[in-house]
Amino acid sequence: MKLTVPVSLPDEVEMLAENGAGGFFCGYVPPEWLEQYGGAFWLNRRGPVAGNLVQRDDVSLLVERSHAFGIPVHVTFNAPYYTPEQQDLLLPLIGRLARESGMDGVIVSDVGFLVALRCAFPALSVHASSVMATLNPGMVDFLEELGVRRVIFPRSLGVADIAALCDAAAGRIETEAFVMNEGCVFEEGYCMTTHRSVGALCVQLPGVPHRVLPVGGEPAGSLAGEEGVRAREVMGAFKDWVWFQNGCGNSMNPGGIPNGPCGLCALFDLARTGVTSLKISGRGTSSYRKLVSLQMVRGVLDLVERGAPREEAARKAMALRNTPKFCEARYMCYYREEAS
Amino acid sequence: MLLTRHHREAAPREGAGHGVEVGLSFPFLTAPPPAVLRGEASLAELLDDGHGWPSTGAGRDAPASVASAGAQLAEALLRHLPGAAPSRVYVGNETCERLLPAPRAIGSWVRAAQEGRIALSLVLPPLSRGGLAKAEEAVRALEGAIDAEVVANDWGTVHRLRSRHPGLTIVLGRLTHKMLRDPRLADYFDSPQAPAPARAALCRSGELAPGFRALMERYGIGRREVDPFLQPLEADEWECRSENVSVHLPYLFVTMGRACLLGAMHRDPADKFVPGAPCRSECRKYAVEFRLPVPGENGAVKHLLNRGNAYYHAVPSSVLGRILERLPSSRRVDRVVVTVPDGQGWPI
Repeated sequence: MKLTVPVSLPDEVEMLAENGAGGFFCGYVPPEWLEQYGGAFWLNRRGPVAGNLVQRDDVSLLVERSHAFGIPVHVTFNAPYYTPEQQDLLLPLIGRLARESGMDGVIVSDVGFLVALRCAFPALSVHASSVMATLNPGMVDFLEELGVRRVIFPRSLGVADIAALCDAAAGRIETEAFVMNEGCVFEEGYCMTTHRSVGALCVQLPGVPHRVLPVGGEPAGSLAGEEGVRAREVMGAFKDWVWFQNGCGNSMNPGGIPNGPCGLCALFDLARTGVTSLKISGRGTSSYRKLVSLQMVRGVLDLVERGAPREEAARKAMALRNTPKFCEARYMCYYREEAS
Repeated sequence: MLLTRHHREAAPREGAGHGVEVGLSFPFLTAPPPAVLRGEASLAELLDDGHGWPSTGAGRDAPASVASAGAQLAEALLRHLPGAAPSRVYVGNETCERLLPAPRAIGSWVRAAQEGRIALSLVLPPLSRGGLAKAEEAVRALEGAIDAEVVANDWGTVHRLRSRHPGLTIVLGRLTHKMLRDPRLADYFDSPQAPAPARAALCRSGELAPGFRALMERYGIGRREVDPFLQPLEADEWECRSENVSVHLPYLFVTMGRACLLGAMHRDPADKFVPGAPCRSECRKYAVEFRLPVPGENGAVKHLLNRGNAYYHAVPSSVLGRILERLPSSRRVDRVVVTVPDGQGWPI
């Protein structure tokens, strides 16, 4: 399995390549996009500047350095949708990135834009973003027919589902599953909210006034007893879950390693699904976080690839995380059904 | 004679409800109300007798009570679409495959609906691999039903259904209509302070671009569902399509997860919020109402309603009015889908 790693600066390439990156993805927001849309409409899943390159020369340099290590670079054009005018702006820009900067391919979310891209650049590698929410084999078939080279599974899929979809994709289309760093309690492909100006809705929700209501003919007093206790408990657990999924409140472990969503202890099982690549997310995070994330994944994966049993790999994963209580809570895990 | 944005003449529709079809959606009921299937329920009765939506605050001009919210919606519908009556029933849930009806139940509804001259729409959520297999069984139960259709909310389902059921009428569900509709900010999306290209991009989708048009043609999609957006959609988004449009009222879909909030109520702490985990259909008994502060508006709030794994915002009457005003002269929007989440007093 290859490790697909975020990169935000040309200077990060060597460090990440030397530590086992097998593929890079980065973001690019050109000045002409910023002039037209400012921060109101994000070109990709990151804000206009954070985690994005803004000069095409930097993309070229990043690609050149990556290719020196034999590592391909895909650029994210994964906003949930682009209007016709935006597509007209982006298609020539993507052509230049491929032709003049050496970019290997793109990551997209908009199905219509995917069709336009394949029509304009038939040879360009296109990865289907997790925002496309590939949840079933019909979607794998759909994407394969549209010429996608790789499908990136959403975070909500369990290992068994990933295995089944990898089986469906085998020999036709590459696959990628998340292994480290960023999470959301919502399904990214069906979340119509914005993080712009008001922050993430999921992070905000546990902190705003709320009430649980009986509906559907349920008596008004039905939440007075045990059900009321359970309702209060679940809202408390919801707050915890959101906290874990949001990088454990952006905290670090005692060794200075950033906490956050993680699939390390599922690597043994993931390795048996046939998934082509594992994704470490976090284009907007620090170089340090990118590096330690990669090192942690590489460390456990090496163990698995050397034939270590599941329990040993899981022990190693938990030791590297060094947050046993967080691991026990299970709200930090991508692959919950296996943890259960 | 009315003029469209492109100065084409648009004749007002004739007939009851100005020819706009009214569908009723019961996403949390185990069965649609028999009176509705028999074609014996009027809009006023359905919406004005406690069957209305539970969120009592729908924004700054929120209706004052549950009953008045339903009454207000019924009154607005009948004022803009005089004589409108429900002629279609939606079964199934758009966000949770656990609420997928059993094929046998669908078969019985098909028979009842045909006697009442009511058409049936089977709503499918974004489906997992297991859900897709079950959905195909459910779809088979619709075979032969006059004017029946399937509302698909992911392209994988569209692809599978089209390849295995070439004659099936497939509607593209509103979850596939990719546009921002964050109730915290959507009122500002067409702000004059925003750059014009950004305003335009926030008030329309990418669906008029050639790539998306090609997909609609390839999969033979003749209808798309849209939300009651808080931001005013550009006229082209409504009208310049080859497919017909259904608009949902009164709930704006906001977001969903594959793990359920209240479905975790009866799970052990470590097993809560696992996507696809078993539940006790808590969504049929409880909802959660969140009050979101409106940025920069001193204590004003917007209500967000959690039902199961999904979050909705009941749009204010001003938005309902803006949408309903469009319908009599619209060339493309020929159906409204009114969600009646709970069927109090209706037999299961």
